[in-house]
Amino acid sequence: MKKMLAAAVSRVLSRVAQKPASRVLVASCNYSNDAMFEIKKCDLYRLEEGPPVTTVLTREDGLKYYRMMQTIRRMELKADQLYKQKFIRGFCHLCDGQEACCVGLEAGINPTDHVITSYRAHGLCYTRGLSVRSILAELTGRRGGCAKGKGGSMHMYVKNFYGGNGIVGAQGQIAEAFNMAALWKLPCVFICENNLYGMGTAAERAAASTDYYKRGHFIPGLRVDGMDVLCVREATKFAADYCRSEKGPIVMELQTYRYHGHSMSDPGISYRTRQEIQNVRSKSDPIMLLKDRMVNSKLATIEEFKEIDVEVRKEIDDAAHFAITDPEPPLEELGHHIYCDNEPFEVRGSSQWIKFKSLS
Amino acid sequence: MAAFAATAGGLLRLRAAGSEGQWRRLRGAGLLRGLLQPESATGVAAQRRRVAHFTFQPDPEPREYGQTQKMNLFQAITSALDNSLAKDPTAVIFGEDVAFGGVFRCTVGLRDKYGKDRVFNTPLCEQGIVGFGIGIAVTGATAIAEIQFADYIFPAFDQIVNEAAKYRYRSGDLFNCGSLTIRAPWGCVGHGALYHSQSPEAFFAHCPGIKVVVPRSPFQAKGLLLSCIEDKNPCIFFEPKILYRAAVEQVPVEPYNVPLSQAEVIQEGSDVTLVAWGTQVHVIREVAAMAQEKLGVSCEVIDLRTILPWDVDTVCKSVIKTGRLLISHEAPLTGGFASEISSTVQRRCPECV
Repeated sequence: MKKMLAAAVSRVLSRVAQKPASRVLVASCNYSNDAMFEIKKCDLYRLEEGPPVTTVLTREDGLKYYRMMQTIRRMELKADQLYKQKFIRGFCHLCDGQEACCVGLEAGINPTDHVITSYRAHGLCYTRGLSVRSILAELTGRRGGCAKGKGGSMHMYVKNFYGGNGIVGAQGQIAEAFNMAALWKLPCVFICENNLYGMGTAAERAAASTDYYKRGHFIPGLRVDGMDVLCVREATKFAADYCRSEKGPIVMELQTYRYHGHSMSDPGISYRTRQEIQNVRSKSDPIMLLKDRMVNSKLATIEEFKEIDVEVRKEIDDAAHFAITDPEPPLEELGHHIYCDNEPFEVRGSSQWIKFKSLS
Repeated sequence: MAAFAATAGGLLRLRAAGSEGQWRRLRGAGLLRGLLQPESATGVAAQRRRVAHFTFQPDPEPREYGQTQKMNLFQAITSALDNSLAKDPTAVIFGEDVAFGGVFRCTVGLRDKYGKDRVFNTPLCEQGIVGFGIGIAVTGATAIAEIQFADYIFPAFDQIVNEAAKYRYRSGDLFNCGSLTIRAPWGCVGHGALYHSQSPEAFFAHCPGIKVVVPRSPFQAKGLLLSCIEDKNPCIFFEPKILYRAAVEQVPVEPYNVPLSQAEVIQEGSDVTLVAWGTQVHVIREVAAMAQEKLGVSCEVIDLRTILPWDVDTVCKSVIKTGRLLISHEAPLTGGFASEISSTVQRRCPECV
């Protein structure tokens, strides 16, 4: 009886709402609007209190984080594919496995806060507001890219996001930055995405102390589970509030993992085992963790997630198509913006007969 | 000593370029050797003491910028900084020891006048100073960073070359640190030895995206510094430290600009072009006077002023007129900026040199 009724309702509703019948049926049945989850307690350094150990996740937020993480995951895998097909050249550092870090970070800060990072930046580019299209087109070096095709993987910028930087800071630079930030109480959160390897060197072989959250010395620190988007969100909120209340800088270490190698030219298995990667994938994958949580607490159903997957896949495929078919920037632009407001001067190209004009 | 070595080197370079005739005549006369050595060192071949000697030659009082005041180089710098902080509410000055006035007194009185938020000390970290300066400039404020001696600029080399110079280009003009100016005392001072005498302009000349400027006098320094601060590209301003007290001139009190990337022909001539920058300009002026008096050689003296981007046209125009070029600088000979000038001139005016 109930089944017949349900079927009738679904027929009616599907005609009205023009959504897949199953979805409408589910929507009218059982889901909750939000749920409380326990998250891992953060290790604290020089802090009396830390972020909360429970948090409330709304259905809307959950689906949003899932969509963002899935988009980043698929975008990185598409970039991998494009690189192997030689549409993307040069350097490409992928962040699949670390999606919870960028999505959780964005969830914990305001869009008007400023973010800067190093080269493993595609995820952050997306969360800070760049479209997948502009990211993939930038990777393939086309004029539809966010840096007009001139920047590539490591030089993507958008308002309130200062890259994407190819050159990385050394320990001395960080020490000086810590000193100045602490001295002048600058509201700065220093985040270390600890994916356990520096290129091909395991952290234990490169660092005298791998408790990176303590390396700020006189700056307080948190160590956060970087595979759990809710943990990252709460920790980021806590760190941002700490800075906003003028207490000075704070260090945050996100314990995370990258599935790919350091870059596309690194197979990623010469310094770690496939077993290790597989372990992390099956036990702590951030997307899987969020999905399981939401399904188990009835915030959403597997079908909804599958739908989101389909939509994301389509978005990525469209973006990849655009990235491959968009024309490259005109060669004249190679010399632009070296200086500002200077009279245009000639820049020599790769041979003495090739000249570009430097306009600004 | 460096000055004369460079001068000799410059002459050798010219000879190698193939202009044999005139030089043979001069060398044959034996006067050239006499010209090169200071008068106190004649005779004894073994132990010749070469002393870095010059006399500062002030320019005539400028009339077109209003009231002037007698200032030495560091006072002219203070005046420029004072004008900048008064005009631009976002301007800040920072560096080691700038708060009390600086080790060369270039920032005396500014902290009292403008407050400790605008004139402040940094910790001892050149890399941090420039990195911090880049960050301030990116937010849109005007950052005037002081590196205490040009010899100490090398820890900041990465920040300057890899970050500051490329900020605009790599972000496709979305961001820039154009309002950054880095000032540093530069050049030999007599007792500076290894780490208080260096002239590193050639290292930075190799880096597109920044501007490098060296003034020769208080009037030039104030105008050039104001131009650097207002320029929308990151600039490095080297101040010849030996001129801080020794150079005294009438300098306008109000702000004014001396254009960047324009060399100045200080003295017109017809026989040979002499190019220099900073303190060496005064040595070259003396050389020009001696050459005129003792050899009847009419020298055209050019102060390059901006090292990068340098004024190729003025120098080439002069060489086309005179047919000979001599470049003199304090920095080491190999890879010094004279090599860039001489190779560009030889490429641009092959028939002349």
